[in-house]
Amino acid sequence: MTLARWGDVATYVVLAVLGAFFALPFLWLISLAVRTPAEVYLGASRFIPQAPTLDNFRLILSDPAFLIYLWNGLKLSASGGLVAVALAIPAAYAASRLNFRGKQAILVGILAVQMISPLVILLPLYRWMVALGLLNSDLAVIAVYGALGMPLAVWLLKVTFDGVPIELEEAAAIDGASRFTTLWRITLPLARPGIASAFILAMVMNWSQFLIPFILLERDGDWPISVAIFNFAGATNASTTQVLAAACIIAVLPAVMVFVALQRMIVSALMAGAVKG
Amino acid sequence: MTITNRTTDRGPAPGDGHPLPWLVPAIAILAAFYAVPVLDVLRLAFSDASLLAPASRYSTDAIGGVLADPALPVVLGTTLVFTLANVAALQLAGLCIALVIARGERRGLRGMAAFRTLVLAAWVVPGIANGLVWQMLFDEAPYGTLNSLLGYVGLGPVAWLSDPQMAMASAVIANLWQGTAFSMIVFYAARRAIDPTLYEVAELDAATPWQMFRYITLPLMRRLIAVNTVLVTVQTLNTFDSILALTGGGPGRATEVLALFTFNTVFYNLDLAGGSVLAVLLFAIGMGCALLVHYVIGRERPAA
Repeated sequence: MTLARWGDVATYVVLAVLGAFFALPFLWLISLAVRTPAEVYLGASRFIPQAPTLDNFRLILSDPAFLIYLWNGLKLSASGGLVAVALAIPAAYAASRLNFRGKQAILVGILAVQMISPLVILLPLYRWMVALGLLNSDLAVIAVYGALGMPLAVWLLKVTFDGVPIELEEAAAIDGASRFTTLWRITLPLARPGIASAFILAMVMNWSQFLIPFILLERDGDWPISVAIFNFAGATNASTTQVLAAACIIAVLPAVMVFVALQRMIVSALMAGAVKG
Repeated sequence: MTITNRTTDRGPAPGDGHPLPWLVPAIAILAAFYAVPVLDVLRLAFSDASLLAPASRYSTDAIGGVLADPALPVVLGTTLVFTLANVAALQLAGLCIALVIARGERRGLRGMAAFRTLVLAAWVVPGIANGLVWQMLFDEAPYGTLNSLLGYVGLGPVAWLSDPQMAMASAVIANLWQGTAFSMIVFYAARRAIDPTLYEVAELDAATPWQMFRYITLPLMRRLIAVNTVLVTVQTLNTFDSILALTGGGPGRATEVLALFTFNTVFYNLDLAGGSVLAVLLFAIGMGCALLVHYVIGRERPAA
């Protein structure tokens, strides 16, 4: 066997070890979610249950509250993602197409604010939302999601706009189109894949958000799924582990599925950002 | 006539145009949701505000109170251990995976995309769900995942979450599972950006794989590794929802990192002033790291 072949073997050995680590939580979660209560107590010996059941999922999905949590999660993360992208488009366009003083400073500033923990800015924001009467309103959560998602969206969209040939915009400008018309009619349609990646990434991040809705929404019926499962976990015990596992799968699955389906697009956008940023 | 005019006076260049109207939304958001809140946190740190009552007077009492709290050194120590362990583990794992996948792809091996997808899937799991899932895996009962697996090979049981030191290790493992993807993407991008002819030349010179890694890959990725170190440090500092769900900060304060301590101070003890002091501390450490990355990039760019 050649050295390269041995290298291939080593590659697969490393991947097998790491693969086991990364796959185990998912596999175990699935295994627990299809067990009956009795089989939960049998541990690893029933990794594949003898009598797999979908009852746990049925129990969760037949609870109307749970469907509301899912809908709340979708509503808040999609609206927040839209706001983030809408806010980011003009700034990203300016950063990509215009030369002006202080551009680098603004871009670095946008990158730097991402390092601020949402927890830090939430303390005053919570009080402001109370003062504005926006506590317990979706609007407050969506606004904060928009603000938190905007910086990354600016960077991703700048890279996207950089990739749109400037000659097309110049041709439009010669035909008398204003910058706004050019952006709306030429650049944005051509940048659609990048815009979609930025939106989906923002949405997935929002889906995972716990702190913002946990603090800004006090009513059970307003909660997104990320807050609801935390609360649900506090109410479960060893005899309902399988139900919690099913609830976790339902909470995790939408984000994972969307991300996996579109990962090529999102990862290439992130990679472009990583090399240039 | 107009044509000759055009050639001398080219009209507005493509890069011209007033940037301000374009930047207004972004700058307004940065001001309203980042700059002003940070200043307000600073103000609150000098106040006596609670979550329910506004500030009535300003003093350094809250700062003194936080600094005198015997829990603070414990929390800072926990934060340091958690952050250092994660930054090392996340980047080693990320680098290892990125290089192995890049190698596999060059050799045309199968399964690389599937493996990358698996790591990325862990990344998008919500932090709370991550904590809950690992809580099931670390279940210390005989039927718990890891303990029942260890039982097969005659080991264990391990007190994953009830032993203070083991609980810290468990929290790091759970964070490693979720966070590796970020470093993987950064390093994978960096590896792909290296000119392949460098490796071809090295191969002609009969360089060993280790030499290629040591003298080509590592030096060329140095800048991104530096940047990534800072990004991962800040991300880890700000992590607390997965720990909240996994251990709740316990046992005792064994896994109560600064971000979680801040959260508990404000939203469970309703001590907004004290929480603001801690938030300022969290912000200062994070910003110190951000300035470091700026410095690193600024210094390396002329050379690169």
